[in-house]
Amino acid sequence: MSVDAAQQLERNARLMELLARTALADQAAFEQLYRMTSPHLYGVALRILRESAAAEEVLQESFVNVWHHAGSYVAARSQPLTWLTSIVRNRCLDRLRKHDVDTVSIDDEDHAMTIADRNPLPLDLLLSGAEAGAVRRCVEALDAGQKQAIALAFYQGLSHSELARHLKQPLGTVKSWIRRGLERLKTCLDGAGLAR
Amino acid sequence: MNYRRPERADALAAQYVLGTMSARARARFTRLARADPALAAAIRAWEDRLLPLADSVPPVEPPEKIWTGILARIDRTAAAAGSQRRTAWAAVSLWRGLALTGFATAIALALVLLSPPLERPAATLVVVLAGQDAKPALVASAERNGRLLTIKAVAPLSPGADRSLQLWALPAAGNPRPLGLVPASGVVQIALPVDAGTALQNVPALAVSLEPRGGSPTGLPTGPVLYSGPVERLY
Repeated sequence: MSVDAAQQLERNARLMELLARTALADQAAFEQLYRMTSPHLYGVALRILRESAAAEEVLQESFVNVWHHAGSYVAARSQPLTWLTSIVRNRCLDRLRKHDVDTVSIDDEDHAMTIADRNPLPLDLLLSGAEAGAVRRCVEALDAGQKQAIALAFYQGLSHSELARHLKQPLGTVKSWIRRGLERLKTCLDGAGLAR
Repeated sequence: MNYRRPERADALAAQYVLGTMSARARARFTRLARADPALAAAIRAWEDRLLPLADSVPPVEPPEKIWTGILARIDRTAAAAGSQRRTAWAAVSLWRGLALTGFATAIALALVLLSPPLERPAATLVVVLAGQDAKPALVASAERNGRLLTIKAVAPLSPGADRSLQLWALPAAGNPRPLGLVPASGVVQIALPVDAGTALQNVPALAVSLEPRGGSPTGLPTGPVLYSGPVERLY
Protein backbone atom coordinates (compact mmCIF):
# COMPACT_ATOMS: atom_id res chain seq x y z
CA MET A 1 0.00 0.00 0.00
CA SER A 2 1.33 3.43 -0.89
CA VAL A 3 2.02 6.07 1.75
CA ASP A 4 -0.81 8.18 0.33
CA ALA A 5 -3.33 5.36 0.52
CA ALA A 6 -2.28 4.56 4.08
CA GLN A 7 -2.62 8.22 5.04
CA GLN A 8 -6.02 8.41 3.47
CA LEU A 9 -7.21 5.34 5.35
CA GLU A 10 -5.97 6.83 8.57
CA ARG A 11 -7.67 10.13 7.82
CA ASN A 12 -10.93 8.33 7.04
CA ALA A 13 -10.78 6.38 10.27
CA ARG A 14 -10.17 9.61 12.14
CA LEU A 15 -13.10 11.36 10.43
CA MET A 16 -15.39 8.42 11.22
CA GLU A 17 -14.42 8.57 14.85
CA LEU A 18 -15.01 12.32 14.96
CA LEU A 19 -18.43 11.86 13.37
CA ALA A 20 -19.34 9.18 15.91
CA ARG A 21 -18.34 11.50 18.74
CA THR A 22 -20.18 14.41 17.15
CA ALA A 23 -23.30 12.22 17.19
CA LEU A 24 -22.79 12.01 20.95
CA ALA A 25 -22.76 15.82 21.18
CA ASP A 26 -19.00 16.04 21.70
CA GLN A 27 -18.33 19.64 20.73
CA ALA A 28 -14.54 19.27 20.75
CA ALA A 29 -14.77 16.41 18.25
CA PHE A 30 -17.13 18.47 16.13
CA GLU A 31 -14.64 21.34 16.05
CA GLN A 32 -11.85 18.99 14.93
CA LEU A 33 -14.11 17.63 12.24
CA TYR A 34 -14.74 21.19 11.09
CA ARG A 35 -11.04 22.10 11.12
CA MET A 36 -10.10 19.00 9.14
CA THR A 37 -12.76 19.26 6.44
CA SER A 38 -13.98 22.87 6.12
CA PRO A 39 -11.17 24.17 3.81
CA HIS A 40 -11.95 21.42 1.32
CA LEU A 41 -15.72 21.88 1.57
CA TYR A 42 -15.44 25.67 1.40
CA GLY A 43 -13.33 25.33 -1.76
CA VAL A 44 -16.02 23.12 -3.32
CA ALA A 45 -18.82 25.56 -2.38
CA LEU A 46 -16.87 28.59 -3.64
CA ARG A 47 -16.35 27.07 -7.08
CA ILE A 48 -20.01 26.24 -7.49
CA LEU A 49 -21.48 29.42 -6.02
CA ARG A 50 -18.68 31.81 -7.08
CA GLU A 51 -19.54 34.18 -4.28
CA SER A 52 -17.97 34.06 -0.85
CA ALA A 53 -21.03 35.29 1.07
CA ALA A 54 -23.19 32.52 -0.40
CA ALA A 55 -20.47 29.87 0.09
CA GLU A 56 -20.01 30.94 3.71
CA GLU A 57 -23.71 30.66 4.35
CA VAL A 58 -23.87 27.18 2.80
CA LEU A 59 -20.85 26.00 4.78
CA GLN A 60 -22.37 27.26 8.01
CA GLU A 61 -25.79 25.70 7.33
CA SER A 62 -24.15 22.44 6.33
CA PHE A 63 -22.18 22.10 9.54
CA VAL A 64 -25.17 23.00 11.71
CA ASN A 65 -26.93 20.21 9.83
CA VAL A 66 -24.00 17.83 10.43
CA TRP A 67 -24.15 18.59 14.17
CA HIS A 68 -27.79 17.60 14.26
CA HIS A 69 -27.57 14.60 11.95
CA ALA A 70 -24.12 13.13 12.55
CA GLY A 71 -25.93 10.08 13.96
CA SER A 72 -27.45 9.37 10.57
CA TYR A 73 -24.05 8.89 8.95
CA VAL A 74 -23.63 5.20 8.28
CA ALA A 75 -20.00 4.24 7.95
CA ALA A 76 -20.63 1.21 5.78
CA ARG A 77 -22.41 3.26 3.15
CA SER A 78 -19.90 5.91 2.18
CA GLN A 79 -16.64 7.58 3.06
CA PRO A 80 -17.04 10.35 5.64
CA LEU A 81 -15.72 13.00 3.26
CA THR A 82 -18.10 11.82 0.51
CA TRP A 83 -20.99 12.16 2.92
CA LEU A 84 -19.94 15.66 3.98
CA THR A 85 -19.30 16.72 0.38
CA SER A 86 -22.77 15.53 -0.63
CA ILE A 87 -24.37 17.68 2.08
CA VAL A 88 -22.47 20.79 0.96
CA ARG A 89 -22.90 20.22 -2.79
CA ASN A 90 -26.62 19.55 -2.48
CA ARG A 91 -27.11 22.82 -0.63
CA CYS A 92 -25.03 24.67 -3.21
CA LEU A 93 -26.99 23.18 -6.10
CA ASP A 94 -30.37 23.81 -4.49
CA ARG A 95 -29.35 27.40 -4.00
CA LEU A 96 -27.95 27.84 -7.47
CA ARG A 97 -30.96 26.30 -9.21
CA LYS A 98 -33.46 28.25 -7.14
CA HIS A 99 -31.58 31.36 -8.18
CA ASP A 100 -31.87 30.27 -11.84
CA VAL A 101 -35.64 30.21 -11.57
CA ASP A 102 -35.80 33.61 -9.88
CA THR A 103 -33.62 35.47 -12.30
CA VAL A 104 -34.42 33.46 -15.40
CA SER A 105 -31.54 33.69 -17.83
CA ILE A 106 -30.49 37.30 -17.36
CA ASP A 107 -27.24 36.44 -15.65
CA ASP A 108 -26.70 33.11 -17.33
CA GLU A 109 -24.33 34.93 -19.59
CA ASP A 110 -22.32 36.38 -16.69
CA HIS A 111 -22.33 33.02 -15.03
CA ALA A 112 -20.79 31.39 -18.09
CA MET A 113 -18.42 34.29 -18.69
CA THR A 114 -16.80 34.10 -15.25
CA ILE A 115 -15.92 30.47 -15.78
CA ALA A 116 -13.07 31.20 -18.13
CA ASP A 117 -11.33 33.21 -15.41
CA ARG A 118 -11.23 30.44 -12.90
CA ASN A 119 -8.08 28.52 -12.16
CA PRO A 120 -7.54 25.68 -12.25
CA LEU A 121 -9.97 25.09 -15.09
CA PRO A 122 -12.74 22.52 -14.55
CA LEU A 123 -11.25 20.15 -17.08
CA ASP A 124 -7.87 20.22 -15.35
CA LEU A 125 -9.62 19.53 -12.07
CA LEU A 126 -11.46 16.60 -13.58
CA LEU A 127 -8.24 15.05 -14.77
CA SER A 128 -6.25 15.74 -11.61
CA GLY A 129 -9.25 14.75 -9.47
CA ALA A 130 -8.93 11.40 -11.03
CA GLU A 131 -5.52 10.71 -9.59
CA ALA A 132 -6.43 7.37 -8.10
CA GLY A 133 -5.68 4.91 -10.91
CA ALA A 134 -8.95 3.59 -12.30
CA VAL A 135 -10.93 6.83 -11.92
CA ARG A 136 -8.35 8.67 -13.93
CA ARG A 137 -8.30 5.98 -16.58
CA CYS A 138 -12.11 6.13 -16.81
CA VAL A 139 -12.19 9.92 -17.08
CA GLU A 140 -9.45 9.98 -19.69
CA ALA A 141 -11.34 7.45 -21.79
CA LEU A 142 -14.25 9.90 -22.28
CA ASP A 143 -14.62 11.92 -25.48
CA ALA A 144 -13.45 15.53 -25.34
CA GLY A 145 -16.99 16.95 -25.35
CA GLN A 146 -18.16 14.55 -22.64
CA LYS A 147 -15.18 15.41 -20.45
CA GLN A 148 -15.68 19.15 -20.87
CA ALA A 149 -19.42 19.05 -20.21
CA ILE A 150 -19.10 16.81 -17.15
CA ALA A 151 -16.28 18.91 -15.72
CA LEU A 152 -18.25 22.17 -16.09
CA ALA A 153 -21.38 20.65 -14.61
CA PHE A 154 -19.60 18.99 -11.70
CA TYR A 155 -17.20 21.72 -10.62
CA GLN A 156 -19.11 24.85 -11.63
CA GLY A 157 -22.69 23.69 -11.21
CA LEU A 158 -23.73 24.59 -14.76
CA SER A 159 -27.18 23.49 -15.85
CA HIS A 160 -27.88 21.97 -19.26
CA SER A 161 -28.82 25.30 -20.83
CA GLU A 162 -25.82 27.08 -19.33
CA LEU A 163 -23.59 24.32 -20.68
CA ALA A 164 -25.10 24.67 -24.13
CA ARG A 165 -24.47 28.42 -24.13
CA HIS A 166 -20.97 28.15 -22.74
CA LEU A 167 -19.90 25.36 -25.08
CA LYS A 168 -21.78 26.92 -28.01
CA GLN A 169 -23.53 23.67 -28.80
CA PRO A 170 -27.19 22.73 -29.26
CA LEU A 171 -28.91 21.72 -26.03
CA GLY A 172 -29.55 18.21 -27.34
CA THR A 173 -25.86 17.67 -28.05
CA VAL A 174 -24.85 18.77 -24.58
CA LYS A 175 -27.49 16.59 -22.95
CA SER A 176 -26.31 13.55 -24.87
CA TRP A 177 -22.63 14.25 -24.04
CA ILE A 178 -23.57 14.30 -20.37
CA ARG A 179 -25.78 11.24 -20.55
CA ARG A 180 -23.33 9.13 -22.55
CA GLY A 181 -20.38 10.37 -20.54
CA LEU A 182 -22.03 9.34 -17.27
CA GLU A 183 -22.99 5.95 -18.69
CA ARG A 184 -19.42 5.31 -19.78
CA LEU A 185 -18.03 6.46 -16.45
CA LYS A 186 -20.36 4.11 -14.65
CA THR A 187 -19.52 1.10 -16.78
CA CYS A 188 -15.82 1.82 -16.47
CA LEU A 189 -15.82 2.51 -12.71
CA ASP A 190 -18.11 -0.37 -11.78
CA GLY A 191 -16.02 -2.64 -13.97
CA ALA A 192 -12.95 -1.54 -12.04
CA GLY A 193 -14.75 -2.47 -8.82
CA LEU A 194 -14.22 1.01 -7.47
CA ALA A 195 -17.62 2.51 -7.22
CA ARG A 196 -19.10 0.34 -4.54
CA MET B 1 -40.90 11.08 -16.14
CA ASN B 2 -41.10 7.47 -15.24
CA TYR B 3 -38.99 6.77 -12.18
CA ARG B 4 -39.98 3.15 -11.91
CA ARG B 5 -37.74 1.77 -14.62
CA PRO B 6 -34.45 1.04 -12.87
CA GLU B 7 -32.24 2.30 -15.70
CA ARG B 8 -34.25 5.54 -15.88
CA ALA B 9 -34.00 5.96 -12.11
CA ASP B 10 -30.25 5.39 -12.33
CA ALA B 11 -29.81 7.94 -15.13
CA LEU B 12 -31.79 10.51 -13.15
CA ALA B 13 -29.77 9.80 -10.00
CA ALA B 14 -26.62 10.45 -12.05
CA GLN B 15 -27.96 13.83 -13.25
CA TYR B 16 -29.03 14.68 -9.73
CA VAL B 17 -25.57 14.04 -8.30
CA LEU B 18 -23.79 15.71 -11.21
CA GLY B 19 -26.02 18.72 -10.57
CA THR B 20 -27.60 19.39 -13.96
CA MET B 21 -31.24 19.02 -12.86
CA SER B 22 -33.49 22.06 -12.80
CA ALA B 23 -34.79 23.37 -9.47
CA ARG B 24 -38.17 21.75 -9.96
CA ALA B 25 -36.78 18.37 -11.01
CA ARG B 26 -34.31 18.45 -8.09
CA ALA B 27 -37.06 19.16 -5.58
CA ARG B 28 -39.25 16.41 -6.98
CA PHE B 29 -36.41 13.91 -7.13
CA THR B 30 -35.38 14.67 -3.54
CA ARG B 31 -38.95 14.07 -2.43
CA LEU B 32 -39.21 10.78 -4.32
CA ALA B 33 -35.87 9.53 -3.03
CA ARG B 34 -36.98 10.09 0.54
CA ALA B 35 -39.79 7.59 0.05
CA ASP B 36 -37.98 5.18 -2.26
CA PRO B 37 -34.98 3.24 -0.91
CA ALA B 38 -33.97 2.04 -4.39
CA LEU B 39 -33.76 5.62 -5.63
CA ALA B 40 -31.85 6.67 -2.50
CA ALA B 41 -29.41 3.79 -3.10
CA ALA B 42 -28.92 4.86 -6.73
CA ILE B 43 -28.07 8.39 -5.54
CA ARG B 44 -25.61 7.03 -2.99
CA ALA B 45 -23.91 4.87 -5.59
CA TRP B 46 -23.49 7.90 -7.87
CA GLU B 47 -22.17 9.97 -4.98
CA ASP B 48 -19.58 7.27 -4.35
CA ARG B 49 -18.64 7.38 -8.04
CA LEU B 50 -18.55 11.12 -8.67
CA LEU B 51 -17.86 12.94 -5.40
CA PRO B 52 -14.24 11.74 -5.07
CA LEU B 53 -13.67 13.97 -8.12
CA ALA B 54 -14.16 16.92 -5.76
CA ASP B 55 -10.90 16.00 -4.00
CA SER B 56 -8.91 17.96 -6.55
CA VAL B 57 -10.62 21.28 -5.80
CA PRO B 58 -8.01 23.50 -4.12
CA PRO B 59 -8.90 23.96 -0.43
CA VAL B 60 -9.69 27.47 0.76
CA GLU B 61 -9.43 28.38 4.43
CA PRO B 62 -12.86 29.73 5.42
CA PRO B 63 -13.07 32.90 7.56
CA GLU B 64 -13.17 32.19 11.30
CA LYS B 65 -16.56 33.88 11.66
CA ILE B 66 -18.16 30.81 10.04
CA TRP B 67 -17.09 28.60 12.94
CA THR B 68 -18.24 31.13 15.53
CA GLY B 69 -21.54 31.36 13.67
CA ILE B 70 -21.93 27.57 13.75
CA LEU B 71 -21.16 27.49 17.45
CA ALA B 72 -23.69 30.22 18.17
CA ARG B 73 -26.36 28.35 16.25
CA ILE B 74 -25.81 24.95 17.85
CA ASP B 75 -25.65 26.50 21.33
CA ARG B 76 -28.91 28.25 20.72
CA THR B 77 -30.70 25.13 19.55
CA ALA B 78 -29.24 23.15 22.43
CA ALA B 79 -30.59 25.70 24.90
CA ALA B 80 -34.04 25.87 23.35
CA ALA B 81 -35.66 22.79 24.81
CA GLY B 82 -39.17 21.67 24.11
CA SER B 83 -39.46 21.28 20.37
CA GLN B 84 -38.63 18.21 18.29
CA ARG B 85 -34.93 17.45 17.97
CA ARG B 86 -32.99 14.62 16.48
CA THR B 87 -29.62 14.40 18.12
CA ALA B 88 -28.24 13.00 21.29
CA TRP B 89 -27.50 16.47 22.47
CA ALA B 90 -30.99 17.53 21.61
CA ALA B 91 -32.38 14.53 23.44
CA VAL B 92 -30.50 15.63 26.52
CA SER B 93 -31.73 19.18 26.31
CA LEU B 94 -35.24 18.02 25.52
CA TRP B 95 -35.18 15.79 28.48
CA ARG B 96 -34.43 18.79 30.63
CA GLY B 97 -37.39 20.55 29.17
CA LEU B 98 -39.84 17.71 29.65
CA ALA B 99 -43.08 18.49 31.35
CA LEU B 100 -42.83 17.95 35.06
CA THR B 101 -45.28 15.06 34.97
CA GLY B 102 -43.15 13.04 32.58
CA PHE B 103 -40.13 13.84 34.66
CA ALA B 104 -41.82 12.85 37.89
CA THR B 105 -43.02 9.56 36.41
CA ALA B 106 -39.55 8.72 35.25
CA ILE B 107 -37.95 9.59 38.56
CA ALA B 108 -40.61 7.65 40.44
CA LEU B 109 -39.88 4.63 38.28
CA ALA B 110 -36.21 5.08 38.94
CA LEU B 111 -36.74 5.30 42.66
CA VAL B 112 -38.80 2.11 42.72
CA LEU B 113 -35.77 0.31 41.37
CA LEU B 114 -33.47 1.58 44.03
CA SER B 115 -32.20 -0.64 46.70
CA PRO B 116 -32.00 -0.16 49.62
CA PRO B 117 -35.39 1.49 50.14
CA LEU B 118 -35.77 5.23 50.35
CA GLU B 119 -36.09 5.59 54.07
CA ARG B 120 -32.39 5.00 54.31
CA PRO B 121 -30.57 8.14 53.15
CA ALA B 122 -28.52 6.52 50.39
CA ALA B 123 -26.82 8.88 47.99
CA THR B 124 -27.81 7.73 44.55
CA LEU B 125 -27.20 8.40 40.90
CA VAL B 126 -30.13 8.31 38.50
CA VAL B 127 -30.12 8.66 34.75
CA VAL B 128 -33.28 8.72 32.69
CA LEU B 129 -32.35 7.99 29.08
CA ALA B 130 -34.75 9.32 26.47
CA GLY B 131 -35.02 8.82 22.73
CA GLN B 132 -35.52 11.35 19.95
CA ASP B 133 -39.17 11.64 20.86
CA ALA B 134 -38.09 12.73 24.37
CA LYS B 135 -39.95 9.80 25.92
CA PRO B 136 -38.01 8.02 28.67
CA ALA B 137 -36.85 4.62 27.44
CA LEU B 138 -34.37 3.43 30.07
CA VAL B 139 -33.55 4.24 33.65
CA ALA B 140 -30.07 3.66 35.03
CA SER B 141 -29.44 3.94 38.72
CA ALA B 142 -26.77 3.15 41.28
CA GLU B 143 -25.86 3.83 44.83
CA ARG B 144 -22.94 6.18 44.81
CA ASN B 145 -20.80 3.92 46.96
CA GLY B 146 -22.06 0.72 45.28
CA ARG B 147 -20.55 -1.05 42.30
CA LEU B 148 -23.71 -2.08 40.52
CA LEU B 149 -25.41 -0.01 37.86
CA THR B 150 -29.00 -1.16 37.44
CA ILE B 151 -30.62 -0.68 34.05
CA LYS B 152 -34.29 -1.07 33.42
CA ALA B 153 -36.24 -0.33 30.25
CA VAL B 154 -39.44 1.64 30.71
CA ALA B 155 -40.41 1.26 27.05
CA PRO B 156 -39.95 -1.72 24.69
CA LEU B 157 -36.53 -1.99 23.04
CA SER B 158 -36.04 -3.55 19.63
CA PRO B 159 -32.40 -3.45 18.58
CA GLY B 160 -32.88 -6.18 15.94
CA ALA B 161 -31.38 -9.67 15.91
CA ASP B 162 -27.92 -8.75 14.65
CA ARG B 163 -27.52 -5.61 16.74
CA SER B 164 -26.67 -4.81 20.34
CA LEU B 165 -27.46 -1.79 22.48
CA GLN B 166 -24.40 -0.45 24.22
CA LEU B 167 -24.33 1.90 27.19
CA TRP B 168 -21.71 4.65 27.29
CA ALA B 169 -20.45 7.14 29.83
CA LEU B 170 -19.95 10.53 28.18
CA PRO B 171 -17.25 12.26 30.20
CA ALA B 172 -17.00 16.06 30.28
CA ALA B 173 -13.67 15.65 28.49
CA GLY B 174 -12.33 12.80 26.39
CA ASN B 175 -13.84 9.82 24.59
CA PRO B 176 -17.06 8.05 25.49
CA ARG B 177 -16.37 5.03 27.73
CA PRO B 178 -18.23 1.75 27.22
CA LEU B 179 -20.11 0.64 30.33
CA GLY B 180 -21.77 -2.50 29.03
CA LEU B 181 -24.41 -4.01 26.78
CA VAL B 182 -28.12 -3.66 27.38
CA PRO B 183 -30.04 -6.83 26.45
CA ALA B 184 -33.27 -6.63 24.44
CA SER B 185 -35.17 -7.36 27.66
CA GLY B 186 -33.90 -4.00 28.87
CA VAL B 187 -33.07 -5.28 32.35
CA VAL B 188 -29.50 -5.75 33.46
CA GLN B 189 -27.11 -5.02 36.28
CA ILE B 190 -23.70 -3.86 35.17
CA ALA B 191 -20.79 -4.42 37.52
CA LEU B 192 -18.54 -1.37 37.75
CA PRO B 193 -14.80 -1.63 38.37
CA VAL B 194 -15.04 1.00 41.11
CA ASP B 195 -17.92 2.55 43.06
CA ALA B 196 -20.49 4.39 40.95
CA GLY B 197 -19.65 7.77 42.47
CA THR B 198 -16.07 7.43 41.26
CA ALA B 199 -16.91 5.70 37.97
CA LEU B 200 -19.31 8.48 37.00
CA GLN B 201 -17.34 11.37 38.40
CA ASN B 202 -17.11 14.13 35.77
CA VAL B 203 -19.57 12.20 33.63
CA PRO B 204 -22.47 14.54 32.89
CA ALA B 205 -24.42 12.11 30.74
CA LEU B 206 -24.95 8.52 29.61
CA ALA B 207 -25.99 7.38 26.16
CA VAL B 208 -27.06 4.17 24.43
CA SER B 209 -25.95 3.54 20.86
CA LEU B 210 -26.91 0.86 18.35
CA GLU B 211 -23.90 -1.34 17.61
CA PRO B 212 -23.03 -4.57 15.81
CA ARG B 213 -23.92 -7.62 17.86
CA GLY B 214 -21.56 -7.94 20.81
CA GLY B 215 -20.86 -4.22 20.95
CA SER B 216 -18.72 -1.68 19.15
CA PRO B 217 -15.62 -3.30 17.63
CA THR B 218 -13.64 -0.08 17.99
CA GLY B 219 -14.24 0.77 21.64
CA LEU B 220 -16.00 3.94 20.52
CA PRO B 221 -19.61 4.35 19.46
CA THR B 222 -20.06 3.53 15.78
CA GLY B 223 -23.84 3.49 15.39
CA PRO B 224 -26.55 6.06 15.99
CA VAL B 225 -27.31 7.24 19.52
CA LEU B 226 -30.77 6.01 20.38
CA TYR B 227 -31.12 7.24 23.95
CA SER B 228 -29.31 9.63 26.20
CA GLY B 229 -29.81 11.45 29.47
CA PRO B 230 -28.01 13.52 32.10
CA VAL B 231 -26.61 11.96 35.27
CA GLU B 232 -28.57 13.26 38.25
CA ARG B 233 -27.09 13.07 41.72
CA LEU B 234 -29.74 12.54 44.41
CA TYR B 235 -29.12 12.65 48.13
